[in-house]
Amino acid sequence: MNSDHLSLSPVTCHLSPVPYFQLRMNSDSTNSSNDFQQDSNSQLPGGKSISKQADVEENIAKTASILADSTDDTDSNSIIPNADLNSVLLYLQANAVSTNAEYNSNLSDVSNNELGLLEEKINHKIQVQLKTEEGRLLLILPTESQVPGSEISWSEIWQQMKQRLNGSDRLRIPNTIVHLVAQDRLLDSRQLQQLEETLNEVQLQLKSVATSRRQTAIAACTLGYSVEQIQLQISFTTDLQATPKALADALYLEMTVRSGGEIRHPGTVIILGDINPGGIVVADGDILVWGRLRGVAHAGATGNRECIIMALQMEPTQLRIADAVARAPEKSLRQFSPEVAYITSQGIRISKAADFSRNQLSKINQSL
Amino acid sequence: MTRIIVTTSGKGGVGKTTVSANLGMALAKLGRQVALVDADFGLRNLDLLLGLENRIVYTAVEVLARECRLDQALVKDKRQPNLVLLPAAQNRSKDAVTPDQMKLLVNALAKKYQYILIDSPAGIEMGFKNAIAPAKEALIVTTPEISAVRDADRVVGLLEAQGVNKIHLIINRIRPAMVQANDMMSVQDVQELLAIPLIGVIPDDERVIVSTNRGEPLVLSDTPSIAALAFENIARRLEGQTVEFLELDSPNDNIFSRLRKLLWTKIV
Repeated sequence: MNSDHLSLSPVTCHLSPVPYFQLRMNSDSTNSSNDFQQDSNSQLPGGKSISKQADVEENIAKTASILADSTDDTDSNSIIPNADLNSVLLYLQANAVSTNAEYNSNLSDVSNNELGLLEEKINHKIQVQLKTEEGRLLLILPTESQVPGSEISWSEIWQQMKQRLNGSDRLRIPNTIVHLVAQDRLLDSRQLQQLEETLNEVQLQLKSVATSRRQTAIAACTLGYSVEQIQLQISFTTDLQATPKALADALYLEMTVRSGGEIRHPGTVIILGDINPGGIVVADGDILVWGRLRGVAHAGATGNRECIIMALQMEPTQLRIADAVARAPEKSLRQFSPEVAYITSQGIRISKAADFSRNQLSKINQSL
Repeated sequence: MTRIIVTTSGKGGVGKTTVSANLGMALAKLGRQVALVDADFGLRNLDLLLGLENRIVYTAVEVLARECRLDQALVKDKRQPNLVLLPAAQNRSKDAVTPDQMKLLVNALAKKYQYILIDSPAGIEMGFKNAIAPAKEALIVTTPEISAVRDADRVVGLLEAQGVNKIHLIINRIRPAMVQANDMMSVQDVQELLAIPLIGVIPDDERVIVSTNRGEPLVLSDTPSIAALAFENIARRLEGQTVEFLELDSPNDNIFSRLRKLLWTKIV
């Protein structure tokens, strides 16, 4: 492992000095004031952009200045070691939207090898998906490059799958046929049988397996499933970056996201239930919580600042939209009404749902 | 020379995390640069006790996956600038990290901080192995109960096998009145069984529960308490000072009179 990566910089923490912002939009006297502490623009795991806001925190500002100077500049003052600088550059490159033209000259010397590494990092966030395509219910497992195959990751995939199945239990029609898209994941007959049993428990029938691996195909054949051999799409990293993917269909879940629970989805997420403290939902689109939001919600995780977070009861540990972070106020409110969180030039704000739909939505639409 | 100390116990619920949080704060108050490392992946609590939960953006797992720099994951405490927390991931299992990765993290922290306190999870499985891997010293936390002492004894054996030989004992949640009435193991009983040097005795105190729920370590509280004093004494003993042990074995009313005396001196 690269030791540079772990070296400490003089600027210790990006969450230290915290300005306060009034978050409620409508400050009529009936509204009790609810201050959200705004940690603006800390770089986020998924929020892949470095913004150019006025209130950027110290270290981000420095990052930008170093980027502007030169990549080779690694004097004692620079806060990012060279290796990390490259990763920042990569990251800027991956997000053409937020990259200023002046930085482009620095980006050319990045090797393809490193790009591959970065790609892996992003893909790591992919979870098991259950979706309908042309009337067929597909159970899609992440590829081995997305989640490397091992006993641990299998149990993780297993848990994710159960979670997804239980979360959409009520709306499912019994005896629906499921097609497993195993991609390049190596599955033995024991694992396939395990899958079938679990699907049977929720009255789903496993019918076919699509795989690009010989061993998986053989295992599926012996168990009597129809097998579809697929060619795994070898995606060139450059292609992926050039053409941004469309958001996935909304994920509708009827569940409580408990502490340690994590829902990630490349689209909008709708939760019919609560997000408990310690639980996290990360969506590339909006997040709608029909219940209490008390954990962490991250909307627009790939950098879309137009995304919003809606909850019947907004008491979050943290709210994140694109690359902005907001903490909950120290004092919690007594009364709650449905609220919407969205990003403004001052950071994340919250307003009552009724007011939001009237004023803000139209404003957002106008600006688009 | 950075001191890398693991707080462990074997048994759960004896106060490892409370000790880590308060000791970290006490050492920071003495002017030391302290890093608290939460090694309890999947069931993290240290951030709650410190009241830093809502400031966590990155965790140790993200640092190891190279998704952020180490200093980005460190959460600074606004009440005590000498102290930082390296949070554990809540959505992973104990197998998410290896002992070698823990060593890597702690050694990187050791370049900047004078004390690194590692909060170990309960048990003796992977999480425990991760927590003790980088440690040079250990603090064993136990309560005066047969089960806790038995588990502590096992853990001392495992630590010695791992080459951690500087081991000190903290006896938590002692109730002098019960010891007096012969209903609870005394400090001497525990020490006799474990045969490791004692570094502190912390009395049972309701205020510990209050401070835990509020996310404000007792050591930071304005009103003095015997438990906070006990934590501060442990910190000073770690620093090499000789501090007399608190006289907890004296009758129950003495605690209150002592507390009252403390309060009076503060007011006058």
